[in-house]
Amino acid sequence: MTDYERISDSDKVRIVSGFIKNAPPGEFNEVFNDVRVLLNDDRLLKEGASSAFSEYNMEQFTPVKVERDHVLITQQGKLDGSRFVDPRNKRSFKYDHLRKEASEIQPASVDVTAEPHRVSLDTAVQGYAKEHYPDGVVTVYGSSSGGKIKLVVCIEDHKFSPQNFWNGRWRSEWEATFSPGGGNGEIKGVVRAQVHYYEDGNVQLVSFKDFTDSFSTADPAKGIVKAIEKAENDYQSALSDNYKTMSQTTFKALRRQLPITRTKFDWNKHAGYKLGSELKGTVQ
Amino acid sequence: MSQEQQLDCALDLMRRLPPQQIEKNLSDLIDLVPELCEDLLSSVDQPLKIARDKETGKDYLLCDYNRDGDSYRSPWSNKYDPQLPDGAVPSDRLRKLEIRANDVFDTYRELYFESGVCSVYLWDLDHGFAGVVLIKKAGDTDKIKGCWDSIHVIEVQEKAQGRSAHYKLTSTVMLWLQTIKAGSGTMNLGGSLTRQTEADHNVSDANPHIANFGKMIEEMENKIRSTLNEIYFGKTKDIVNDLRSVGDLNMKAKQQMLATELNRKLQDRD
Repeated sequence: MTDYERISDSDKVRIVSGFIKNAPPGEFNEVFNDVRVLLNDDRLLKEGASSAFSEYNMEQFTPVKVERDHVLITQQGKLDGSRFVDPRNKRSFKYDHLRKEASEIQPASVDVTAEPHRVSLDTAVQGYAKEHYPDGVVTVYGSSSGGKIKLVVCIEDHKFSPQNFWNGRWRSEWEATFSPGGGNGEIKGVVRAQVHYYEDGNVQLVSFKDFTDSFSTADPAKGIVKAIEKAENDYQSALSDNYKTMSQTTFKALRRQLPITRTKFDWNKHAGYKLGSELKGTVQ
Repeated sequence: MSQEQQLDCALDLMRRLPPQQIEKNLSDLIDLVPELCEDLLSSVDQPLKIARDKETGKDYLLCDYNRDGDSYRSPWSNKYDPQLPDGAVPSDRLRKLEIRANDVFDTYRELYFESGVCSVYLWDLDHGFAGVVLIKKAGDTDKIKGCWDSIHVIEVQEKAQGRSAHYKLTSTVMLWLQTIKAGSGTMNLGGSLTRQTEADHNVSDANPHIANFGKMIEEMENKIRSTLNEIYFGKTKDIVNDLRSVGDLNMKAKQQMLATELNRKLQDRD
């Protein structure tokens, strides 16, 4: 009977946390349940891996309904004690990472210098999202420091169809910094698209791109949305182009539909009993 | 928590975690639940690795079916690397068939894949034999790296004094495509699809085993190729375009409304 080398509890937690954080969009519960059975130690799971639950939700830009509006769970919006800020409605709430519910809503303070810019941008981005995202959720954060304004835009959209064995999510994060009333502002961002298809298989698209650009501060909200729209449209078009090349060139070059003879493999010729070769030895 | 339940959960997990990290995921899973090691290694498909047979200078593919301990058996020399004098090998009769199968499937590989590596491993069963046909083909075009791995596991149950047999085929094809480009950043589209089929065939000199299961493998691989095309370049792309629209959705909605209105007016006129 082999005596298995057991790994330490901290290594188990590391592995289990890794699995949880890599759950595809919409499949956290299934991965959580699998991990629970495999670890077979609920106490260790709760104590060691609960930070993985919150990291997952923040990474995924998980949307949550707070009264009549939707807000995203993000690193940007994190406050102490499992609380998150909802900038649009000037409030904060407690978030249960397993139940995915908000509670204990309280008013939240705003950065008065940044707030007018944050509001303009929030309105502009919501308009932009209605044009491009069927079910998009937008959260815009604002802060200021030494005369500079920093606005962070988070956009999320997802489609879950487990009954058809697929799920997908799009996430955009844009950070714009500028000094009001002069010059250009800087914007950097990252856009991610992930799709999981799992009927009799496991196929995943994992794609992301980093961006850097500048924008005019004549009308910062307009300038920022213009930069975002161009970058995201170009990115999505480039993805489409890649799909075309992959299917028409790369995939075709891997395996032909049929041999060059345009007929299937002649198994009986190649694998059949070769009478000729059997006699070769004798007929000389 | 029974071992069977744990294996089910492990396999479910492998169907959900990004396939791009199969090897790491499998290794972590084995570390986490070492009792499942052998079961996992034999039931989780991994991208095929290539090794070179030092004796013949020919390449061969590595999988759990030609593994014994930490050594792998070459289909060319029938020897293990690193050396294993008592390593599991097919019976003499089956080895002859294995040599023949490697030869035939290599020709199949040439006609469909035009390059790449193919290996066939057979092992004895009580009333027949089993085998795996492996094909690996890599190709890079236009800054896109692609790789295809075929894993066809066949089980042959001989019947009627060898005049017929029941064949069970489980085929997994892994397809990996990745690109890093200025316009599209990192795009990684990968994973696998698995299908099964079974059939009875007569066995004779004109219809030897290799022809019987060869035809099944060819038909299966052609089908899976077609499905891969649909899923990878159709379905996943459609899902991305459902998440975000390059065109203005408000415009599309207006156009849709106008089209519906026009249709209604045309129908009213009739």
